[in-house]
Amino acid sequence: MTKKTISRRDFLKTAAAASGGIFVFGFLNPERGVASAQDKTLLSFGQTWDAAFRPVQEEFDANWLAEHPDVEIEAVYSTWADHNNTVPVWAAAGTLPDIIYVHGSRVAPWAAEGIITSIQSFVDADPEFEVEGIWEEALRLYRVDGELVGIPYDHGPLILGYNKDLFDAAGMEYPDETWTMDMLREAAIALSDPDNLQWGWSGELDLGAGGAGAFLGGWGGVTMNEDETEMALDTPEARAALEWWYNLIHVDGAGPSQAQAEGGFGDVNGPWLQGRTAMAVVPSWETPGLARDAAFAWDVAPWPEGPVKRETGSFGSGFSITSSSVAREAAWSYMREYLSTEGMSTVWGSTGRGSPAREAAYQSWMDSADAPEGAGYYLDALKEYAVTGGPFQTLAAPEVLDILTRQAELLRLAEVSVDDAVNTIMAEATEALEALES
Amino acid sequence: MNLPFFNGKPLSRARREERIFYLFVTPWLIGLVFFWGGPILAALGLSFTDWSGVNFSDIKLIGFDNYHKMFADDLFWQSVTNTVFYAVGSVFLGTIFALFLAVLLNQNIPGIAFFRSVFYLPSVTAGVAIALVWTWILNPVVGLLNFGLGLIGIDGPGWLQSPQWVLPALIIMSLFRIGPNMIILLAGLQDIPQSLYEAAEIDGAARWAKFRNITLPMLSPALFFVLVVSTVGSFQIFVEIRIMTEGGPGTSSFVLVWYLWQQAFVYLRMGYASAVAFILFIVVMILVGIQFWIGSRLVYYES
Repeated sequence: MTKKTISRRDFLKTAAAASGGIFVFGFLNPERGVASAQDKTLLSFGQTWDAAFRPVQEEFDANWLAEHPDVEIEAVYSTWADHNNTVPVWAAAGTLPDIIYVHGSRVAPWAAEGIITSIQSFVDADPEFEVEGIWEEALRLYRVDGELVGIPYDHGPLILGYNKDLFDAAGMEYPDETWTMDMLREAAIALSDPDNLQWGWSGELDLGAGGAGAFLGGWGGVTMNEDETEMALDTPEARAALEWWYNLIHVDGAGPSQAQAEGGFGDVNGPWLQGRTAMAVVPSWETPGLARDAAFAWDVAPWPEGPVKRETGSFGSGFSITSSSVAREAAWSYMREYLSTEGMSTVWGSTGRGSPAREAAYQSWMDSADAPEGAGYYLDALKEYAVTGGPFQTLAAPEVLDILTRQAELLRLAEVSVDDAVNTIMAEATEALEALES
Repeated sequence: MNLPFFNGKPLSRARREERIFYLFVTPWLIGLVFFWGGPILAALGLSFTDWSGVNFSDIKLIGFDNYHKMFADDLFWQSVTNTVFYAVGSVFLGTIFALFLAVLLNQNIPGIAFFRSVFYLPSVTAGVAIALVWTWILNPVVGLLNFGLGLIGIDGPGWLQSPQWVLPALIIMSLFRIGPNMIILLAGLQDIPQSLYEAAEIDGAARWAKFRNITLPMLSPALFFVLVVSTVGSFQIFVEIRIMTEGGPGTSSFVLVWYLWQQAFVYLRMGYASAVAFILFIVVMILVGIQFWIGSRLVYYES
């Protein structure tokens, strides 16, 4: 019997038919995101929540959908770390969700690119949505040319966190509202024992989101002028502030080097998280992680008063309706409830996720299980001395922030002097701002 | 026997073979045009525009402005310098090390297949995973590398946390993934006729003389391939920078691809980034051209 073999021609025919079939199937496959029923509006929501938080989001969505049966919600997830790069790609591909998470530093560039658009008309036509109840510093991040392009959902200041166990062991009083920066320095030095891997200060030196307000504000220093058209770091006040923090870490030895922090503890904030540091900057959004992971007793206190004034930084995130959305009415209908006092209290406040952008919702967070005893100090800071600062209004914000962050890193590594760092920031950031004008 | 007909005339066997060849190579050609040639031409076109990469309607022709800006940007030149430093170091050391390993593994002893697999394994491991592990190995306080140096009395540097040592650290890390080059050189070594070595033995040649006069010339085609591929790859380093340093400390590990990625996807300057990408393409093509020119004079092909 003749053995049947496949001829080369038969093989090519089969391969071509299979390839063509796969190709055609790809075109025939229903497009993702099209509403399953013609009478429902599909509302897509680009989110960055981690898996642990998604049930909270889904519960809110289920309750909202029960009252809006004509809408179908599609959640589109990206990781927080990748989101800022993912959104422009979505925009270029024409696949932007209707609502997206917007970090405060991305509002101006995304609005300029037409990724997000004004929602002022919705706000103006909806007197029940109390935009006045949102912190003005939080709203400032989401206002472009006088119009709101997003609504913040959380906004928190940077204040002082302290390790109660280390203070107790040293027999020292906890930080309180009377503290000044000099008192912080004295305590940090007293609580430092580097040979035994213990430091009084976490070693942080941050000029990024909210950091400039915390690390420069007490001395009257700022990174930029008010309309964010010029750098303003080259002042005696700002230099004095940077020298102070630099000396605290490298001269007083009250903070671990970056190598020590990463080496022994896996992360630049490792010594604080593992209870080896007496004091650190604790923004409100870090409190859930501390509540979950800290193996030491901790609390927060007001940010100490500097030589000139008491000032700290604050920052936050929000949500916007994208300009390509075809479901803007549904998107606003969702956002007005999501970002109402009740919505913020339900989703972020009572869950302990973070400090809501509304004063009226703040109590829900302070009453949550994860909020520290001194959570009220975050509210005090927001009301009295926290500023968002810059750069967040200029299109060069991402680049200027990178320049600030790079030099802050070198300062922390003691690879540059304060003078060199300031001069480099001034030169590079000024060039970035001037490139915008040209 | 039925013969295929084309235009009423029977095709010769050679012509049939030719048509089948083009049929098989067509998918690759389509990929080459659409996924390589097309994007390169698009990048060239976009390099003359001011475009954020978001809305096609916002594309604005600005001539050579992007190139003027690039050549006037100190950070661009630092990226070039860092990239060249890394490329020279990783290609030179990587090739030497790959050759050394290939010679070691070119033996017929029990278990040699196991060692060949072990040295190749890092090449099939995800780059991100390797970068994360090497972040720990290079840690100046608790890392394995400084621990080993400490055993011989050397106080190791800050590696990834030192502007002076971050690039050498990345070069050392690049040696971890020389598996493919090692395999290519090993195959080249095994292709060298033993008769040449036997003849050399008879003539009383020493080991080094055999290596220099037989192994290297006969291995030159494989070495040439390894050098070209390694050079192209080294200029495109990105994953390690993204995971381990983000261009830091400061800008000491800013390399060209990291620079253009930031411009494109962080600062939304796709037109400018396209100009940088095109310059990178030109530079790499020039280097490869130089290598081919040198190769035409130094590479020995048996045929």
